[in-house]
This record gives sequence, C-alpha cells and structure tokens, in this order.
Amino acid sequence: MSKIMTVDVLSSIKGAQPSEAVSKLFDVIKNAQTTNNNPFNNNHNNSVSLDNLREDEVIESSALEKQIIKDNFPKEKNGYLVVSKVIDA
Amino acid sequence: MESQIQQIHQQLIDKKISCVDLVQEKLSALKENTHNTVNSLLSELALEQATKVDTKIANGENIGLLEGIPFGIKDVYMLQGTYATASSDLLKNYKSAYTATAIQKLLDAGAIPIVKENCDSFGHGSSSENTIFGAVKNAVNPELVGGGSSGGSAVNVAKDYTVFSIGGDTGGSVRQPAGYNNVYGLKPTYGRISRYGLMAYASSTDCVGPIATSVEDIRIVLNTMSGKDTKDQTTYTSESIEETSILDTTGIKTVGYFKNFIESEAIDTQIKEDFLASIEKIKAKGIQVKELDFFKSDILVSTYYTLAMAETASNLSRLDGTNYGDRIDDKDLKESYAVTRSEKFSEETKRRIVGGNQVLSQGFSDEIYLKGLALRDAISENFEKDFEEVDIILSPVTPSIPPKIGDSLKDPLAMYLSDAYTVGFSLGQLPTLTVPQGTQTGLQVTAAKNNDELVLKFANFLKDTI
Repeated sequence: MSKIMTVDVLSSIKGAQPSEAVSKLFDVIKNAQTTNNNPFNNNHNNSVSLDNLREDEVIESSALEKQIIKDNFPKEKNGYLVVSKVIDA
Repeated sequence: MESQIQQIHQQLIDKKISCVDLVQEKLSALKENTHNTVNSLLSELALEQATKVDTKIANGENIGLLEGIPFGIKDVYMLQGTYATASSDLLKNYKSAYTATAIQKLLDAGAIPIVKENCDSFGHGSSSENTIFGAVKNAVNPELVGGGSSGGSAVNVAKDYTVFSIGGDTGGSVRQPAGYNNVYGLKPTYGRISRYGLMAYASSTDCVGPIATSVEDIRIVLNTMSGKDTKDQTTYTSESIEETSILDTTGIKTVGYFKNFIESEAIDTQIKEDFLASIEKIKAKGIQVKELDFFKSDILVSTYYTLAMAETASNLSRLDGTNYGDRIDDKDLKESYAVTRSEKFSEETKRRIVGGNQVLSQGFSDEIYLKGLALRDAISENFEKDFEEVDIILSPVTPSIPPKIGDSLKDPLAMYLSDAYTVGFSLGQLPTLTVPQGTQTGLQVTAAKNNDELVLKFANFLKDTI
C-alpha cells in the first residue's frame, strides 16, 4: 500500500475531496502569527490528577441496556449478529 | 423574580392546573407546530409521569420545584429507550441504551421530557438546516432560519411549546439560536455539567446548555444539572448559585467589549448602533466600560473550526454501521464502512470529517492543527489578562440578523464566519449567556472561568438597565 493516504481513505468516505471553504479557513491559520508554537508548553489542557481517577472496575449494564444495544445492531440472522466479510476468500 | 418554572409549580400545587392537562397541551402544540422543531414526541412516557405527579398532589404530598415541568431535549442526548438520531440519516432508527447524566439529574428532580428536538446533524451547522427532519423555522419570522445547531430547542422555548429545553453548545449552538429567537441560552463553564450521554462533536468545547425564558429558570436548571461526574472526568464540583446572590448586582464595577468586533466591516449597522446604545446605558449606571483588544474574527473562526473538525473526524470515526446505525453492505468490511458513511452522512458532516482528517494528517498537522492549538492557548491567555481588568465582557451574539432559509447551505464559508462572536468564548471555555436584549439577536454576557454566577447576576442587572 502507498504510504500516502488520501482524505477519502482516511475518512472512509468515497470520492471525498478537500473543500474550498474549509481550505480558506486553514489558510488563515497557516498565515497567522503566534508567539508560542508549542501547544504542549502551557497550562490550559484539561487533565485529571492521578489521585482523582475513578475506580477501575467493571460495572454491569442493566438487562434493558443490553437489550437495546442488541436491538440497535443493524443485522441479525438466526440469533447471531451479522457483520460484513472481513477476509476475502 | 420572574420564572415560568416557579409560576407553573405554584399553579400545580394550588390545583389550578393538572400536570396531565399541562403536558397534553404542550404535546398537542408540538404536534401541530409547523416550525419543524420535533424529531420525536415522548407522549407515552410524559403522560405516565404527569399522572404520577397529579396523584402525589391529590394525596397531599409535597412536590419539588421541577416536578411535573415539561421540557425538551436536543436530539443529541441519550434518554434510555427513546430515539437519539442526531437529526442524521445514519442514526435515524437508533435508540438510546442509557440516559445522559444531565438529563438523568432533571428526571431525578421530577422534570418531564416531552420531545426530542430538531437540530443540525451531529451539531454540524449554525442554522438547523442540516437535518433530515426539515429546516427549523424561526419563531419570530418563519421565513428565516431558527439558528443552530440547537434551533429546535430555542424555537420550542420561544413558542412556549416547552418550559425550558436542553441544547448543546460547542461553538455557539445554544447562544446563537437563543439570540435568533429572543430567549435566554447559557453555555456554562466547560466541565460544570457532565457531557456523559451527549453525542460528542468537539469534546474540548462541547457543553450542555439550558435555554429558557428567564434568568431565574436558567439558574434553576443549571443548578440541577451541574456537578462532578465520574463518567466525564473533565467535570468539576461547583457551588449551587443562590437566587439572592444573583439579585445583588452591586459588585460589578467594570465591563469590557472587544473593539474589533464592533469596528468590523461585517457587522450589521443596526446591531452595531444598538450595541453601542446599550453600552451607553450601562455607563449611565456608573459602570466603567473599557474597550479591549482581541484576535481578529477570521483567526477565531479558523482556530475554532480547525480544532472542531479535527475532533469531530475522530469522534465520528466510530459511526461505520457495524455495531449500530444504518448499514449498507458491500463486498467487504472496508467498502461497507465507506459506502455507509458516504451515503448516510450529510454534505456538511462529510465536509467537516474530511477537513479534520486533512489537518490531522502528516504534513498538515504541524502547520495547521498544532498551530491551531497554540492559537487557542494565546486566546485563553488573552482572556485571563482581560479578566484582570474587567468583571464582564459584553458582545453582540452575531454580526448579522438570521439568514433566510436556504441561504446558509449555499455558502458554507459565510456560515462559518457568522459564528465569529461566539466561538472565542468556546475556545476559552468561559461561561457565556445570551440575553434577549440590546440588539435584534441579543447580547452575550461572559465572565471568567467558573464564574457562572456573575454572568447571571449581570443578566439581572441588564434586565433593569436596557
């Protein structure tokens, strides 16, 4: 596979092309002057202290939640949830 | 203090109205309405809840302030067992498996959800035209757009179809439609209300926001939904805002406004005149007003859209028709993903996903995405300095009046630029309220981070000033 991936492949959208309107927005950013070009050298990122993380535990979903998740599955056959073919024969 | 919630609460406990009649009346008005605000009605659930409230009242039991109050929900929130379509073709049959934290808190307080509301698909738009349910029509003039992305929610409140509605604000999606339809709409400080169960658009600016007809109702709903939630680790613990504390407006000494917003060539002449007239009225009350320097509008809009598109490209990558959503099968997994996404996403959603993947890809990320992050930091620093000088920043909500239905879809760049006055405060994660006063599309009141109380206080002051 080529090392260059086009936006249609990256986006999983057939025939996708960069849009002119959006490119104009990006041009503004390219030409903008910034005093600090290192976005990681600051205190504005949202982060949570290690002491403040929630417990790493499994929480069982309710029977209703599980049923709705199954109902939302696009395809079902003979009690199995059907997915697209992954490997070509 | 003026409050529709307080008023209805009193009527319920005085038995002047029954909750079932109230809910039925709202459901009928929503069903008959021609503004395209409804994605689905929650009639059965709502009437069941209303009957319970009436039984409690009949038995002489006390009811809470929000108990029995009918409200609307933008169709991007989870409410277990109901449709959550994001106004998209891809999720038009999707049912919420669980309930969003913010909505659950309102349910726990006894409020009754009656409608899932029309909006721009996945929040992608500023006019509520990017939807499979038909363009939302403005509450005042139905030839104009309802604003977006929470257009259905703002119109429902303005038309009195709901007492309040819960919108979502990423770059102005609560404040702008509130302004377009003459109601109050709050984007709280980022993290004050949990995002758990809100479909992610741009996670670093997504906020849950109430829309209502009074400052007091905004306060009541905000207090109910706020609080730390382990399911959204960007949330923080906040103090409840008391009614008495927002009535005393003596603490506000200085107000600032961005000179370049008002001197911009893009601003409508009448909006500019009305804004400056409002500033004079504030000065006349003895408040010091300062002109502030800020980033140019095109930098604000471009920074916001660069980051928002990058985040939405990532957030929406899960929507491939495999586990949920409408799937179109093709020869293999990759083709099924591509065909499903190509056919089922709207043009605007695809434009944003493609833009996001563009800026995140090698060769572009340094000069666009990372620079966008750096600009966002500079914008935040600018705000921090401003709030050392002033208590409140006042701005128009939009540079122009609402466009006609159909115009925004023709010119996406013009639509992006129409967000010039709202996106900066999103990037700064600041509390900002639209008040339906001052200009045709209202005024925005902004305070420093975590100071939502001051925003409501100043809104009360404006009520008596303008």
